[in-house]
Amino acid sequence: MISKIKEALICLRAPRVTFRYPLEPMPAPARFRGRPTIDGAKCIGCGACAAVCPPRLIDIHGEGTTRTVELNFSRCTYCARCQEVCPVGAMQCTTDFETATNDRANYSVKVELAAVACQSCGTPFITQRMQQKLMAEFQPAWMQQRNELPEWLSLCQSCRVEKTGMTMGRNIKNG
Amino acid sequence: MTTAQVTMTTAPETLTKAQKILQGIQEKFGVALISAENPRPDRLFLKVRREEIRPITDYVFNTLKGRMVMSIGTDKTPVDGHYEVSYLYALDAEGIALNLKELVPENDPVVPSVAGIVTYANWNEREVYDLLGVKAEGHPDPRRLVLADDWPDDVFPLRKSVPYNFKPPVRDVKPPMRELTEREKKSTIVNVGPFFPTLEEAASFRLFVEGERIIGADYRGFFAHRGIEKLTDNVLDYNQIPFMAERICGICGFVHSACYCMAVEHAAEAEVPPRAQYIRAVMMELERIHSHLLWLGLAAHYLGFDTVLMQSWRIREPIMWLVEAITGNRKTYGLNLPGGVRRDFTNEHCDKILEVIAKIEKEAGELVAAAAEDHTLKMRLVDVGRLTPEDARLLCCVGPTARASGVNIDARKDFPYCAFPDLKFKPAVQHTNDIWGRLLVRAEETFTSIDLVRQMLARLPEGEIMAPVGNIPPWREGVGVAEAPRGECVHYVETGHDNRPYRWRVRAATYPQLQAVPYMLEGMHVADFPIIVGSIDPCFSCTERLITVDRGNANKLRIYEKKDLLAMSRRRTQELR
Repeated sequence: MISKIKEALICLRAPRVTFRYPLEPMPAPARFRGRPTIDGAKCIGCGACAAVCPPRLIDIHGEGTTRTVELNFSRCTYCARCQEVCPVGAMQCTTDFETATNDRANYSVKVELAAVACQSCGTPFITQRMQQKLMAEFQPAWMQQRNELPEWLSLCQSCRVEKTGMTMGRNIKNG
Repeated sequence: MTTAQVTMTTAPETLTKAQKILQGIQEKFGVALISAENPRPDRLFLKVRREEIRPITDYVFNTLKGRMVMSIGTDKTPVDGHYEVSYLYALDAEGIALNLKELVPENDPVVPSVAGIVTYANWNEREVYDLLGVKAEGHPDPRRLVLADDWPDDVFPLRKSVPYNFKPPVRDVKPPMRELTEREKKSTIVNVGPFFPTLEEAASFRLFVEGERIIGADYRGFFAHRGIEKLTDNVLDYNQIPFMAERICGICGFVHSACYCMAVEHAAEAEVPPRAQYIRAVMMELERIHSHLLWLGLAAHYLGFDTVLMQSWRIREPIMWLVEAITGNRKTYGLNLPGGVRRDFTNEHCDKILEVIAKIEKEAGELVAAAAEDHTLKMRLVDVGRLTPEDARLLCCVGPTARASGVNIDARKDFPYCAFPDLKFKPAVQHTNDIWGRLLVRAEETFTSIDLVRQMLARLPEGEIMAPVGNIPPWREGVGVAEAPRGECVHYVETGHDNRPYRWRVRAATYPQLQAVPYMLEGMHVADFPIIVGSIDPCFSCTERLITVDRGNANKLRIYEKKDLLAMSRRRTQELR
C-alpha cells in the first residue's frame, strides 16, 4: 500500500513533459545533424563526399562540359561524414529535421559545375574550380623549383599516364 | 604481431596467462594444434585439426571453464581453398578471448558438431550451415535458423561466389518445425508471433500448453535478418561500417559501433587517444542508463503496470536530449570511427551530463524504491522465468540475464576496454535466478553507471580524440568486446583488401539469451509469457491467422491463411515501391 502511495506521489509531482510542437517551433540543438545541403557557390566537385557516404547517395556525373554533383538524401543516414570530409565547407548538415514532403524531387540537391577539357585529348575531366584549387595549392611550391606551370594539372588521367610513360621511356632510351 | 611458437620452452613462472593456457592445450592435444597466435596478452588465436575439435571443446568448456561466444564461418576458398569455422570462447576468469579455428576443405564441408558439449553451439552451428554451407555432423536439431523459409537450399549467402544483392524468387515453403515429444503432441499449441505491433520486433514462438501451464516452446526468428555481414564483401568500407553497425540495435547502437571499431583497432594494432576512450565509455554508460530505464518501463508495461512505464520513460528522456546535444542525434550518435571519436565533449557538455545524471539518480531512485516494495510487481516476478546457473552456463548467457542467475561475468570487468581499466565498480549479481533478480540487477546497474560516468568525468583526459588508423594490412584478426546494456556484445573482424574487412561477424547479447527462453518458460503460466520473454530485454508477437466477417452478410466468413496474408503483404509492398 505504501508503495502505491509513493507511486501516486511520483505521478502527481511529475511536471508536464510534452511540448506544444508543432504548434510552437522546436529548434534542434546546434550540433544536430539534419537535412544535408550543398552550397553551390563553394562546391568544387572533388567527390570526397561521394566516396565516404555510407548509403552512397551522392553521385558525380558529367555530360559535355558540365559536371553535376547530385545529392539525393531520401535515404540519408544523417551521419554528416560528407560535411566532415568536405575540403571547402560546401557540404553542410543543417539543423532542419522537418523533411516530410509529397514530392520526391524535394530530396534532391544538384550543383552544376563547368568542367575543363584535357589539353591533350580534349575530354572534359575535372571542374574548373577543382583545377583552380589544385593550382592554388600546388603552384607556389612547384614554381619555386621550375619556371613553367605544372602541365599535369591540365591533362586527364589517361593522358597523364601516357605522358608519364613516354617521358620514362625517353629517359630510359637516353640512359 | 608476435606469433607464439607451438613448442615453448620458457620456464613456467615467466609465462603469461595466455601462454600457460596455450601450453596446457599443447601438452594435452599436441598434434591437434596446428598453429597459435598471441597478438595481444588477452587474445589467443588457435588453429586446430577438425577431427579433434570435440575433445578440445570439452577441455576448453569444462576444464578451462570457457564460455562460448559465437561461431564464425568464413569463406576462404578464393584464397586457399578452405572454409574456416571458428568457435570463439571467453575465458572470463583469465580475461582472455580464445578462438579455435578449424580448416574445412572445400570438397568436404563438414565439421563435427559440438552441440552435445555446449548447448549454446546449437544455433551457432545451424547458422554456419545456413550461411556458409558447412554441415555440423551429429547436430541434434539441424533445422534452418537464419535464412527465410523460401531461400533456396543450395545457396549459401556468405560464400564469396554469391553476389551480395542476390535475390531468390519467392516460394511458398512451410517453416521448419521441431519434432514434438509425445507429451507436446497431446498439448494445445498456442502461436505467438510472428509480429505484435506493440513490441515492434518479429519473433515467433509456439507454446505447448497443458491448461494454463507451458510445458515447452519452439522458437522461429531471424525474420529481420538483412545480411549486413555480407555487405562487407564489396559494398561498405572500414569507415562506413560503424554507421551500419550502429543500426543493428535500436537502443544500444553505440555499443555496436564502438565494438566494431575496437575490433578493427585491435586488428590494425592502432592506438586510440585516451580522451576518445573516455568519451566512448561515457557514452556507453549513458546508453546503459537510458536502456535500463526503458526496460523497466517496458517490463512494467508487459504486466499492465503502465504508471511505471510512463514515469521511467519520462525520467529517461533528458538523457536522449543530452546525447542529442552532444552528438547530433538522440539515437544514432554516429560518433565512432576506427581510431577514435568524431566529436568532442565541451566543458558545458560535461556540466550538463553531471546535472542530468544527478536528476536521474534522484528520480530513478524514488521510482525504483517504490517499485521494489510493490507487492503486485513482486507477485508477478518472483520465481517466474527461472534460469538455473547451470543452464545459464550451458547456454552461455551473458549480461543481466546471467548475473541474475549468479554468474558473475561482466565484460567491463573481465575484458576491460576503453576507460574501464581505470575505474572502480562492482558488477551487480543476484542469486534469485528469476525475473525479480533481473530487475534488481538492472536497477543496481543504472546507479553503478551513474557513478561510473562521474568517475570518468572527474578524470577525463585532455588531448586528441582521433588518431587515424592508416593502412590496415590484410589477414589480421581482431575481436572487440563490450558490455552492452543487454549483455556482452562481440564483434569479430578479419581484415582484407580494398579498404574493407574480409569478414565481419557480430554477436549481440540476445543471441544466447533467446535460446534460454524455452528453459525459462517451462512450467510457467501462459500469462507470464510476455514478461518472461521481456525479461531478457528483446521483443516479439501475434497470431498467424486472421478472420474477417463481412458485416453486410453475417454468414459470409472468410479465413485468411498464411499464404493469403503473405500475398496481401507482398502486394502492399509492391504498391509502396
